[in-house]
Amino acid sequence: MIQSTSGPKTGETFWLWFLKIITGLFIILLLLIHFVVNHFVAEGGLLTYADVVAYYRIPIIPIMEIAFLIIVVSHALIGLRSIILDLRPSRQTLTAINWLFVVIGIVSVVYGIWLIQVIVAKGSA
Amino acid sequence: MMSEPSRKSGISQAIRWFDPRGRDIGTIAFILNRITALGLTFYLFLHLIVLGQLAQGAEAYDGFLATIRSPIYIFGELLVIAAGLYHGLNGIRVGLTSFGIAVPQQKKLFYWLLAIAVLGSLIFGIRMFTA
Repeated sequence: MIQSTSGPKTGETFWLWFLKIITGLFIILLLLIHFVVNHFVAEGGLLTYADVVAYYRIPIIPIMEIAFLIIVVSHALIGLRSIILDLRPSRQTLTAINWLFVVIGIVSVVYGIWLIQVIVAKGSA
Repeated sequence: MMSEPSRKSGISQAIRWFDPRGRDIGTIAFILNRITALGLTFYLFLHLIVLGQLAQGAEAYDGFLATIRSPIYIFGELLVIAAGLYHGLNGIRVGLTSFGIAVPQQKKLFYWLLAIAVLGSLIFGIRMFTA
Protein backbone atom coordinates (compact mmCIF):
# COMPACT_ATOMS: atom_id res chain seq x y z
CA MET A 1 0.00 0.00 0.00
CA ILE A 2 1.02 3.56 -0.57
CA GLN A 3 1.47 5.36 2.73
CA SER A 4 -1.82 7.18 3.18
CA THR A 5 -0.51 10.67 3.79
CA SER A 6 2.81 12.43 3.95
CA GLY A 7 3.80 15.21 6.25
CA PRO A 8 6.64 16.80 8.15
CA LYS A 9 9.27 14.37 9.35
CA THR A 10 11.38 14.37 12.49
CA GLY A 11 13.50 17.51 12.55
CA GLU A 12 11.36 19.30 9.98
CA THR A 13 8.91 21.79 11.46
CA PHE A 14 5.37 22.04 10.17
CA TRP A 15 6.05 25.46 8.66
CA LEU A 16 9.14 24.34 6.80
CA TRP A 17 7.22 21.42 5.37
CA PHE A 18 4.30 23.68 4.49
CA LEU A 19 6.67 26.16 2.83
CA LYS A 20 8.06 23.29 0.72
CA ILE A 21 4.56 22.45 -0.55
CA ILE A 22 3.61 26.08 -1.20
CA THR A 23 6.88 26.91 -2.98
CA GLY A 24 6.39 23.72 -5.01
CA LEU A 25 3.01 24.96 -6.16
CA PHE A 26 4.45 28.38 -7.05
CA ILE A 27 7.27 26.75 -9.00
CA ILE A 28 4.76 24.90 -11.17
CA LEU A 29 2.94 28.15 -11.93
CA LEU A 30 6.08 30.26 -12.43
CA LEU A 31 7.80 27.57 -14.49
CA LEU A 32 4.82 27.49 -16.84
CA ILE A 33 4.93 31.28 -17.17
CA HIS A 34 8.74 31.19 -17.52
CA PHE A 35 8.47 28.65 -20.35
CA VAL A 36 5.67 30.42 -22.19
CA VAL A 37 7.34 33.83 -21.90
CA ASN A 38 10.80 32.52 -22.80
CA HIS A 39 9.63 30.63 -25.86
CA PHE A 40 6.61 32.49 -27.19
CA VAL A 41 6.60 36.09 -25.96
CA ALA A 42 10.24 36.50 -26.95
CA GLU A 43 9.80 35.64 -30.62
CA GLY A 44 11.56 32.41 -31.55
CA GLY A 45 12.92 32.07 -28.02
CA LEU A 46 15.88 33.57 -26.19
CA LEU A 47 18.59 32.31 -28.50
CA THR A 48 21.21 35.05 -28.35
CA TYR A 49 22.74 37.41 -25.83
CA ALA A 50 20.87 40.32 -27.47
CA ASP A 51 17.56 38.42 -27.04
CA VAL A 52 18.22 38.01 -23.31
CA VAL A 53 19.11 41.69 -22.84
CA ALA A 54 15.97 42.74 -24.75
CA TYR A 55 13.85 40.30 -22.72
CA TYR A 56 15.04 41.84 -19.44
CA ARG A 57 14.01 45.29 -20.63
CA ILE A 58 10.38 44.28 -20.10
CA PRO A 59 9.78 45.82 -16.63
CA ILE A 60 7.96 42.86 -15.04
CA ILE A 61 10.58 40.28 -16.10
CA PRO A 62 13.40 41.06 -13.62
CA ILE A 63 10.88 41.01 -10.76
CA MET A 64 9.37 37.73 -11.94
CA GLU A 65 12.77 36.10 -12.38
CA ILE A 66 13.97 37.24 -8.94
CA ALA A 67 10.80 35.89 -7.31
CA PHE A 68 11.26 32.65 -9.24
CA LEU A 69 14.88 32.40 -8.11
CA ILE A 70 14.05 32.89 -4.42
CA ILE A 71 11.23 30.34 -4.56
CA VAL A 72 13.22 27.69 -6.45
CA VAL A 73 16.30 28.02 -4.24
CA SER A 74 14.15 27.79 -1.08
CA HIS A 75 12.34 24.70 -2.34
CA ALA A 76 15.59 23.02 -3.42
CA LEU A 77 17.35 23.65 -0.10
CA ILE A 78 14.40 22.64 2.09
CA GLY A 79 14.04 19.50 -0.04
CA LEU A 80 17.75 18.70 0.14
CA ARG A 81 17.60 19.15 3.91
CA SER A 82 14.71 16.70 4.20
CA ILE A 83 16.73 14.13 2.22
CA ILE A 84 19.63 14.66 4.63
CA LEU A 85 17.27 14.18 7.59
CA ASP A 86 16.63 10.62 6.35
CA LEU A 87 20.32 9.89 6.85
CA ARG A 88 19.85 10.59 10.59
CA PRO A 89 22.42 13.35 11.03
CA SER A 90 23.63 14.12 14.54
CA ARG A 91 22.37 17.32 16.06
CA GLN A 92 25.67 19.11 15.44
CA THR A 93 25.73 18.00 11.81
CA LEU A 94 22.18 19.21 11.32
CA THR A 95 22.98 22.60 12.86
CA ALA A 96 25.99 22.92 10.55
CA ILE A 97 23.85 21.97 7.56
CA ASN A 98 21.16 24.47 8.52
CA TRP A 99 23.70 27.29 8.53
CA LEU A 100 25.42 26.06 5.41
CA PHE A 101 22.10 26.01 3.55
CA VAL A 102 21.14 29.47 4.79
CA VAL A 103 24.48 30.76 3.46
CA ILE A 104 24.11 28.91 0.13
CA GLY A 105 20.59 30.28 -0.23
CA ILE A 106 21.59 33.87 0.47
CA VAL A 107 24.66 33.70 -1.78
CA SER A 108 22.63 32.20 -4.66
CA VAL A 109 19.92 34.84 -4.43
CA VAL A 110 22.36 37.74 -4.09
CA TYR A 111 24.38 36.39 -7.03
CA GLY A 112 21.22 35.99 -9.12
CA ILE A 113 20.03 39.51 -8.35
CA TRP A 114 23.49 40.87 -9.19
CA LEU A 115 23.45 39.01 -12.51
CA ILE A 116 19.98 40.25 -13.39
CA GLN A 117 20.99 43.79 -12.50
CA VAL A 118 24.03 43.51 -14.81
CA ILE A 119 21.79 42.41 -17.68
CA VAL A 120 19.21 45.11 -17.00
CA ALA A 121 21.98 47.74 -16.88
CA LYS A 122 23.28 46.56 -20.28
CA GLY A 123 19.80 46.92 -21.71
CA SER A 124 19.28 50.47 -20.51
CA ALA A 125 22.81 51.65 -21.37
CA MET B 1 14.01 16.70 19.46
CA MET B 2 15.56 13.99 17.34
CA SER B 3 15.09 10.42 18.51
CA GLU B 4 18.06 8.21 17.81
CA PRO B 5 17.10 4.55 17.42
CA SER B 6 19.48 2.11 15.68
CA ARG B 7 21.89 4.60 14.18
CA LYS B 8 23.25 2.85 11.16
CA SER B 9 25.90 4.66 9.21
CA GLY B 10 24.57 7.28 6.84
CA ILE B 11 26.33 5.69 3.88
CA SER B 12 24.79 2.21 4.14
CA GLN B 13 21.40 3.79 4.65
CA ALA B 14 21.90 6.01 1.63
CA ILE B 15 22.75 2.99 -0.53
CA ARG B 16 19.83 0.91 0.77
CA TRP B 17 17.61 3.80 -0.08
CA PHE B 18 18.28 3.53 -3.83
CA ASP B 19 17.65 -0.23 -3.89
CA PRO B 20 14.29 -0.78 -5.62
CA ARG B 21 13.97 -4.52 -4.89
CA GLY B 22 10.86 -5.57 -3.03
CA ARG B 23 9.47 -2.04 -2.83
CA ASP B 24 5.83 -1.22 -3.30
CA ILE B 25 4.66 1.33 -5.83
CA GLY B 26 4.43 4.15 -3.28
CA THR B 27 8.05 3.68 -2.31
CA ILE B 28 9.09 3.66 -5.95
CA ALA B 29 7.18 6.93 -6.43
CA PHE B 30 9.05 8.33 -3.45
CA ILE B 31 12.46 7.13 -4.66
CA LEU B 32 11.85 8.62 -8.11
CA ASN B 33 10.80 11.86 -6.43
CA ARG B 34 14.09 11.97 -4.55
CA ILE B 35 16.29 11.06 -7.52
CA THR B 36 14.64 13.72 -9.69
CA ALA B 37 14.96 16.19 -6.78
CA LEU B 38 18.72 15.62 -6.60
CA GLY B 39 19.03 15.92 -10.38
CA LEU B 40 17.00 19.11 -10.53
CA THR B 41 18.92 20.67 -7.63
CA PHE B 42 22.18 19.86 -9.39
CA TYR B 43 20.78 21.44 -12.57
CA LEU B 44 19.57 24.53 -10.70
CA PHE B 45 23.03 25.39 -9.39
CA LEU B 46 24.69 24.45 -12.68
CA HIS B 47 22.20 26.73 -14.46
CA LEU B 48 22.97 29.63 -12.10
CA ILE B 49 26.73 29.23 -12.48
CA VAL B 50 26.60 28.84 -16.26
CA LEU B 51 24.36 31.89 -16.73
CA GLY B 52 27.22 33.89 -15.18
CA GLN B 53 28.49 33.91 -18.79
CA LEU B 54 25.89 36.62 -19.39
CA ALA B 55 28.01 39.00 -17.31
CA GLN B 56 31.00 38.35 -19.63
CA GLY B 57 29.23 39.93 -22.58
CA ALA B 58 27.80 38.95 -25.94
CA GLU B 59 30.78 37.01 -27.27
CA ALA B 60 31.14 34.78 -24.23
CA TYR B 61 27.42 34.03 -23.96
CA ASP B 62 26.82 33.39 -27.66
CA GLY B 63 29.90 31.18 -27.72
CA PHE B 64 28.53 29.25 -24.78
CA LEU B 65 25.16 28.86 -26.52
CA ALA B 66 26.91 27.45 -29.59
CA THR B 67 28.66 24.86 -27.39
CA ILE B 68 25.47 23.57 -25.79
CA ARG B 69 23.81 22.91 -29.12
CA SER B 70 25.52 19.54 -29.43
CA PRO B 71 23.41 16.37 -28.89
CA ILE B 72 24.97 15.48 -25.53
CA TYR B 73 23.80 18.78 -23.99
CA ILE B 74 20.39 18.49 -25.63
CA PHE B 75 20.09 15.03 -24.09
CA GLY B 76 21.00 16.53 -20.71
CA GLU B 77 18.29 19.14 -21.17
CA LEU B 78 15.82 16.38 -22.00
CA LEU B 79 16.71 14.68 -18.71
CA VAL B 80 15.95 17.96 -16.93
CA ILE B 81 12.57 18.17 -18.71
CA ALA B 82 11.73 14.55 -17.83
CA ALA B 83 12.77 15.02 -14.19
CA GLY B 84 10.86 18.29 -13.97
CA LEU B 85 7.71 16.75 -15.43
CA TYR B 86 7.81 13.79 -13.05
CA HIS B 87 8.74 15.82 -9.98
CA GLY B 88 6.12 18.49 -10.66
CA LEU B 89 3.29 16.06 -11.38
CA ASN B 90 4.17 13.79 -8.47
CA GLY B 91 4.44 16.89 -6.29
CA ILE B 92 0.83 17.74 -7.12
CA ARG B 93 -0.19 14.22 -6.05
CA VAL B 94 1.81 14.41 -2.81
CA GLY B 95 0.47 17.90 -2.08
CA LEU B 96 -3.13 16.81 -2.61
CA THR B 97 -2.87 13.66 -0.51
CA SER B 98 -1.03 15.57 2.24
CA PHE B 99 -4.18 17.57 2.73
CA GLY B 100 -6.35 14.46 2.61
CA ILE B 101 -7.52 14.99 -0.98
CA ALA B 102 -7.80 12.04 -3.39
CA VAL B 103 -6.08 9.69 -0.93
CA PRO B 104 -7.91 6.53 -2.12
CA GLN B 105 -7.16 7.39 -5.78
CA GLN B 106 -3.47 8.05 -5.31
CA LYS B 107 -2.26 4.85 -6.97
CA LYS B 108 -4.31 5.58 -10.05
CA LEU B 109 -3.05 9.18 -9.98
CA PHE B 110 0.50 7.89 -9.87
CA TYR B 111 0.07 5.73 -12.97
CA TRP B 112 -1.53 8.62 -14.82
CA LEU B 113 1.17 11.10 -13.89
CA LEU B 114 3.84 8.60 -14.87
CA ALA B 115 2.17 8.12 -18.25
CA ILE B 116 1.91 11.90 -18.79
CA ALA B 117 5.54 12.42 -17.77
CA VAL B 118 6.77 9.70 -20.14
CA LEU B 119 4.60 10.89 -23.01
CA GLY B 120 5.55 14.53 -22.40
CA SER B 121 9.25 13.65 -22.33
CA LEU B 122 8.87 11.75 -25.62
CA ILE B 123 7.19 14.73 -27.28
CA PHE B 124 9.87 17.09 -25.99
CA GLY B 125 12.59 14.65 -27.06
CA ILE B 126 11.24 14.34 -30.59
CA ARG B 127 10.90 18.10 -30.92
CA MET B 128 14.33 18.82 -29.45
CA PHE B 129 16.16 16.34 -31.65
CA THR B 130 14.34 17.10 -34.90
CA ALA B 131 14.06 20.89 -34.65
